[in-house]
Amino acid sequence: MDFHDKVVLVTGASRGIGAAIAKAFAAEGAAVAVNYLRNTEAAATVADECRNVGGEALAFQADVTDGTAITALVDQVLEAFGKIDILVNNAFRPYTFDPEHRKMFWELEWTDYRTQIDGALISTHGLCKAVMPVMRKRSGGAIINIATDLVARPTIPYHDYTTAKAALIGFSRNLAMELGPLGIRVNCVAPGIVYPTDATRGTTEEVKESITANTPLKRIAKPEDVAGPVLFLASDWSSFMTGQTLYVDGGLVMK
Amino acid sequence: MTERAGYLPGFPAEEVEWRGLRFGRAGEPLEIAVPALTDAQMKELAARVRDAARRHLKTLSVARIADIIDRAIARLLDRGDPYRQKAESLLPVITGYDAEMVRLGLTGYLKTFRKPELNKFLAEDFANPRILDEFQPLAKGGVARAHGPDVLAHIWAGNVPGLPLWSLICGLLVKAGNIGKVPSAEPLFAGLFAQLLAEIEPSIADCFAIVWWKGGDTARETALLREADVVLAYGGNDALAAIRGRVPVTTRYLAYGHKISFGMISRATLDIRKAPSIAHQAAYDVVRYDQQGCYSPHVFFVERGGKVSPREFRGYFAHELACFEQKYPRRALTIGESSDVAAWRHQQELTAFSHPDHEITGGEAGAWTVAYVEDEEDLAPSALNRTVKIVAIDSLADVAPQIAPYKAFLQTVGIAAPPEELYRLAEILGQAGVTRISALGRMTAPEAGWHHDGRFNLADLVTLTEIEHSAEAFADSFAPYVD
Repeated sequence: MDFHDKVVLVTGASRGIGAAIAKAFAAEGAAVAVNYLRNTEAAATVADECRNVGGEALAFQADVTDGTAITALVDQVLEAFGKIDILVNNAFRPYTFDPEHRKMFWELEWTDYRTQIDGALISTHGLCKAVMPVMRKRSGGAIINIATDLVARPTIPYHDYTTAKAALIGFSRNLAMELGPLGIRVNCVAPGIVYPTDATRGTTEEVKESITANTPLKRIAKPEDVAGPVLFLASDWSSFMTGQTLYVDGGLVMK
Repeated sequence: MTERAGYLPGFPAEEVEWRGLRFGRAGEPLEIAVPALTDAQMKELAARVRDAARRHLKTLSVARIADIIDRAIARLLDRGDPYRQKAESLLPVITGYDAEMVRLGLTGYLKTFRKPELNKFLAEDFANPRILDEFQPLAKGGVARAHGPDVLAHIWAGNVPGLPLWSLICGLLVKAGNIGKVPSAEPLFAGLFAQLLAEIEPSIADCFAIVWWKGGDTARETALLREADVVLAYGGNDALAAIRGRVPVTTRYLAYGHKISFGMISRATLDIRKAPSIAHQAAYDVVRYDQQGCYSPHVFFVERGGKVSPREFRGYFAHELACFEQKYPRRALTIGESSDVAAWRHQQELTAFSHPDHEITGGEAGAWTVAYVEDEEDLAPSALNRTVKIVAIDSLADVAPQIAPYKAFLQTVGIAAPPEELYRLAEILGQAGVTRISALGRMTAPEAGWHHDGRFNLADLVTLTEIEHSAEAFADSFAPYVD
């Protein structure tokens, strides 16, 4: 895939899946805006790695749940690279995936749900809106939102997190409907458990083994596994796809 | 960075010569400084350990020693503990093994030395473990007490993280003063454990030492061998024979040589549902420490006639190796290891030319190789580092001629078979020289108290002092209360 002359903004790209996506775009020649919240050093390293594999890259600090910060972020990216062709909404509000100590339904308050829904949707909503002018002007663009396969199969019912990601898929389908006529495609990638990332580092071997045993491809995803489908949905190879969700979990979910 | 290995009670670091061993082929360079003692220092160290063991370790009950070991192991199982963190961060650099594999392997291995497990070690070898504390009645009459050696020398080999702990802990349980020589391939962990023990129980801090010398340095080796009451050595047969020649004839010498292990899969287990999970377990045994253990499989004999054929099983097995390459990538090989793998693969490919039934499957960059063989073929060592042969066989019961040439080297067999067949095969395998049978997936994790190479871990180390019944009766006749 050739992403030369394409500008990609990846949120939450200083680590884990976001970093893997940023590097994969860079390896195909893209200019990558590496957004991060706190870890300046890690983001700088990711940007360095992006340049080392043949892309362009700059790190941009911004809290993507803050409207003002989003506007500033998009302005900075446009100033640096001149346009935004591809937006990957990968950042999410910190969530502890702990199958043994998760909250059960009757222990959850509405605020727990609201925190996650805000975490998943405020940034996505804000960023999609913020890139509208530039994408509309160019009559094209691709938006990829990162969901989870738990939406289709809540192997472990992380109620608040998964409900928020389900809302994100609904949001994306509506947006796909709206933006299709403008040549802007909106799709989701729904990974299964990805290891290792900071969010899953504490996941026990027992849980990983049990998911592996039920997964046709007999392993769990690495951050790099998620990048391929994201690049596909960002490329012209998928030019006639919008409103779709690709499950990247070794076949655990089939639909 | 430089990290100091070894453990030398009573020797200030500045009085010892330190040599640097370099590690970190694939990433950050790491230097492990290892102590190179003079003959005189070795002698002094042995005297100190002998004296301290007599005065401290031998006065503790075996239950108390097990408690101390248990506390050290609990610390090493705690991922927040600085000793554990050091082991987790440095062992992958030293050995090249995947960090996750080392982390999980350490936990699984260390669990076999918790107090209840240590009691299993003791119960396996002594009908009454208190025989290590005081005279205990014997079934034949009379009483006996077991004494561990004053100085037990360990000469360790290989790079599987933590392996020295097995014999070191056995030595402690029989109250021996221990001096262990670490291999250059993994010089760190034994010393860490010794430091931790000393920190937990300062009264026994002088009862053990961890030393190093360059392999083949017979002068230093002889200096230790002369001081030891019992010598325990691991390694290849040539190295073991050379050591045997230097051990004084009155010193007990226990040698653990290289071994070969393999797997067997019965047709009765090869249905469509179970075959993929058996392949997963079998592949795990191969991947764990890249077949560097004596218990690691080189060959799997797969029986014909199941719903899933040996050739189909090979497909599941190869895919599992590919998945494990993602999860626990093989360590970076030395040039020598790479050429061994290439030569083995080349040999298999040559054979395949004249045997169209044979197939060679391999991962990218040769990270793993499976040779599939239709003819019944002898067990032969593979090139290690994830090179495996799958041999199709009409009946597992016919395996005896295939393994007979390796009788002196056989150790573990991982078996997937129903109960009756398991026992039937175990009978054949035991006669052929096999000493351990495990489940597939557990080949590289022997259970606590395992009789290593069919021997006794603790009983082999001790000397019994018996008071015969006649002595007791005789003494009775001199008692002040005699009528």
